[in-house]
Amino acid sequence: MSRIDSFDPPEANPDVRRRGPRPVTPLGLLRASAKQVWRTLRTMRTALWLLGGLALESILATIVPQEPNVPDTVAAWRAGTEGPGTVVSAGIEVVGGYDVYGSPLFLALLLLLFTSLTACMIPRVRGWWRITRRSQPPRTRHLGAQEHVAHVHTDLSGDEALAAARGVLSDRRYRLRDTAADGPDAEPQVAGEKGQVAREGGSLLFHVSFYVLLVGIVFGQLLGFTGQVGIVEGQAFTDAQVSYWSYQPGRWFGSDDHRGFRLQLDQFNVDWYRDVELAGQPRLFQSDVTVTTPDGETYSDTVGGNDPLVVDGMKIHQLDWGYAPRVVVRQGDEVVHDGFVDANSDEFGWFPTAVKAPAADPDVGLEVVLVPWAPEGPEGEPIPTGAPWADEPLLFYRGWAGDLQLDVPQDVRELDTSRMALGPEGALRLGETVELPNDVTIEFAELRRWVGFQFSDRPTVPLLLVGALLALGGLIPALYAYRRRVWIGTTDLPDGRTLLVVAGRAFQRAEAFAEEFEELADDVRSAVDGTTPDLPDPAAPSPSDGSSTESLPDQPVPDQPVPDQPVPDQESVS
Amino acid sequence: MTTAELSRFLFSPVVLVLYTSAMLAYLYAMAFGTVDRDDVAAVAKGRRARVLGTGLAIVGVASHVAHLAVRMVAAERLVPLGNMFEFSNVIALVVVVGGLLVVQRRMGRPELMGFVLLGALVTLGMAALLYAEPGPLAPILDSWWLNIHVSTIALAAGIFTMGAVFNGLQLLRDTAERRVALRASGDFGPNTVGAAQAPVGSSDVDAPAHGDVDGDADDVLDSVGERIGKDDGLRVVDADLAYRDALRDVLAQRVFGLRFPWKVGLVAAALALAFSLVFQDVVASVTFPLAMLAMVGIAWWAVPFLPSASALDSLAYRTIAFGFPIWTFAVITGAIWAEQSWGRYWGWDPKETSAFLTWIAYAGYLHARATKGFKGRRAAWVGLGSFGVLLFTYYVVNLLISGLHSYAGLQ
Repeated sequence: MSRIDSFDPPEANPDVRRRGPRPVTPLGLLRASAKQVWRTLRTMRTALWLLGGLALESILATIVPQEPNVPDTVAAWRAGTEGPGTVVSAGIEVVGGYDVYGSPLFLALLLLLFTSLTACMIPRVRGWWRITRRSQPPRTRHLGAQEHVAHVHTDLSGDEALAAARGVLSDRRYRLRDTAADGPDAEPQVAGEKGQVAREGGSLLFHVSFYVLLVGIVFGQLLGFTGQVGIVEGQAFTDAQVSYWSYQPGRWFGSDDHRGFRLQLDQFNVDWYRDVELAGQPRLFQSDVTVTTPDGETYSDTVGGNDPLVVDGMKIHQLDWGYAPRVVVRQGDEVVHDGFVDANSDEFGWFPTAVKAPAADPDVGLEVVLVPWAPEGPEGEPIPTGAPWADEPLLFYRGWAGDLQLDVPQDVRELDTSRMALGPEGALRLGETVELPNDVTIEFAELRRWVGFQFSDRPTVPLLLVGALLALGGLIPALYAYRRRVWIGTTDLPDGRTLLVVAGRAFQRAEAFAEEFEELADDVRSAVDGTTPDLPDPAAPSPSDGSSTESLPDQPVPDQPVPDQPVPDQESVS
Repeated sequence: MTTAELSRFLFSPVVLVLYTSAMLAYLYAMAFGTVDRDDVAAVAKGRRARVLGTGLAIVGVASHVAHLAVRMVAAERLVPLGNMFEFSNVIALVVVVGGLLVVQRRMGRPELMGFVLLGALVTLGMAALLYAEPGPLAPILDSWWLNIHVSTIALAAGIFTMGAVFNGLQLLRDTAERRVALRASGDFGPNTVGAAQAPVGSSDVDAPAHGDVDGDADDVLDSVGERIGKDDGLRVVDADLAYRDALRDVLAQRVFGLRFPWKVGLVAAALALAFSLVFQDVVASVTFPLAMLAMVGIAWWAVPFLPSASALDSLAYRTIAFGFPIWTFAVITGAIWAEQSWGRYWGWDPKETSAFLTWIAYAGYLHARATKGFKGRRAAWVGLGSFGVLLFTYYVVNLLISGLHSYAGLQ
């Protein structure tokens, strides 16, 4: 495609920009190479390679377990007990494969991509601004040589016909050339364009939305807060930093930013399909809670699987749940432990945890496993099942005595038995009591459930939503607004009538424009009360319109199929 | 017959047989796409086959919808997107309906419908491997955001499947067109000036550039030349036919006396083997390579009847450009749902990561298509690669990698 019709400013037309003089001074050389790097960053090719790099990193992150998501699996991979072995594991470690999204390589790629995007955006935004504010649809010198040409005969004078044609084009949302700009001597011609502002603008909006998303994500990290805590039925929790089991505050989230409300778990409702086929698939999973705000206002609400509760901007999700047996440990008449110990289900559907009673002498530790449903067999012995419903709960225990070593950090659900002696083991039904050595009795007093809640504050989520909607809103015109140019010129015919030549060119989706152009020509025809002239082939330049369109005799008529996108690169999607 | 049995019966054999026969009818019709226009009988035959194919496909769609409806009655829920079987089913339905409405009706390319149906059938074949009895939804999946999320994902996946079909055909056709042009230019020796205008056989033929082809095409071209000689070189249709045969021939090599696109076939077989390894199933390991070889055979046979490579390129681009915003929207709704359900909008779960990866890949395709040096063939490869990423996201991540999206519905 020749550039003969293009009156775009040089900024929008990088190919026609002249090179500057060759640099001679060291400083000039440095400037020139920086410019060159900037130009390389700006190319689509660089962006494609960077996107490819990001894609490769993502593949790695999909295949290799990620430390922030599954730390245990990563530990097993590192130790070589799982996964491909220690040698490969060391290789993964080198490229930061266990935490891809926190690895320097990923961040460097992302930074480069955003730099490349910025380098690409600056001239494009400037060019777009110029196009919208200053540039005009160009005239053509070769009306008859355009890809689409139609002829109309009319009784109106040339000026009247052009005025009517302008009306048709502006009804069809064409941006029209201001004829005043052409001067009085110019041959009258209507020039219109559409699609360019929307297409390029949409593409720019789509790309600019990534900055919005980036700002939203970064500030979300800095300002946000996430904390997890388990609450046993009937118990309560107060929002303060010390109350959480674990928490991940953003750098700018202070301890005063907690809301200080109180959340009580009244009841946890859970139910399952109990037929064999569905094998305990849950069908209800909901917490009844009571909230007390710092002002003393109290209300009840529910938190469900897809139904988080929002209290004072803090979002509360129900994440997981488990059983919490209440185990009472006595030594003589003294109660040395009385409390709920929470447990998560293991791969058998059982709930292992530990009871620690440092008040006893010596320390008493119990490894306990709760089996929710252990119905009695024909001879009265319990048969443990993997079903999750607590119809006939059974608590297995294994007693330990010695030093619990609570001064060393340890998991609340596991015993450190390195300085303890193994005692008797057995099983308890709900309400049963059993005696252990050292005058210790244990009682399985009560069974409740506990629910793991997540409390999160993400102030930038609305901004992220705006960014996502901007991306989508930009994407649609960027992909579906097609750029078209139309010109209309007139010639006075010897018989007093006027010949209108309508010419059009499509920059994208040329095959759809053929139909569009025909409709447009029909509209023009009816607007000027015109008729189709008797021409052998309206597409071919005939002698009658040769004078009006100034088409050169050797100008080829493009009658071959038009390629899909006869546009310079920077004008397509990018 | 219970509703569950009825839904299974509607799926297999009813829907599978209807789609297969519609595909065969369309493919048969395709063979009459490039014929001597004076041959009224052949043209009528082609039209009849096409009408038959359309009818079968429409009945197939009706049965498919009925199958899903009955299944939902059996499962007592509303949206058939609860596990991989249902999901693949909906993708296939999108492909067929999209093919009928857009490819055939709007774009007027019924000759591609055979391949659109082939894409749908492969998806349905995968669905059959992932069959799960109708059942209730896990409570965590019971959310309107989820319904919007998965249905738009299925829609986009169906559209991308069509795009991949077009990209694959484009590559095949492009290879053939290039080789024909290359062989035509071969007549000029090292000097390629003027090669594009090189007529072959007879200097009077106003034919597309086609070449001197070794093997059987020589005979065809000779006979064309003879006939042209007799008819004073005015039989353009014959030249079309010769070009058609030349196109077919350049793709094939003779091995054991058989002509077949071996290289493509081997790649397909390797892919199929990798796929069957995912399922670790003897039947799958045998049927998949066979099915893929058959597909390659069909595609090779169809090359001469296909639209030109550039038309396929434009078709693939439009399809993918249509699917991309839908995928974008689906990923956004997925993030909204995750925020509601899991308490974070993005957690780099394997599925989230790979959905993002798919998005990047297709964004790469759209950019590649507008980049010098990537247009045409390389862009088509990027498009096919993106579809590979989509398959990875769907099959590999669901079946092999554990994460929060483990809802495949398999034991």
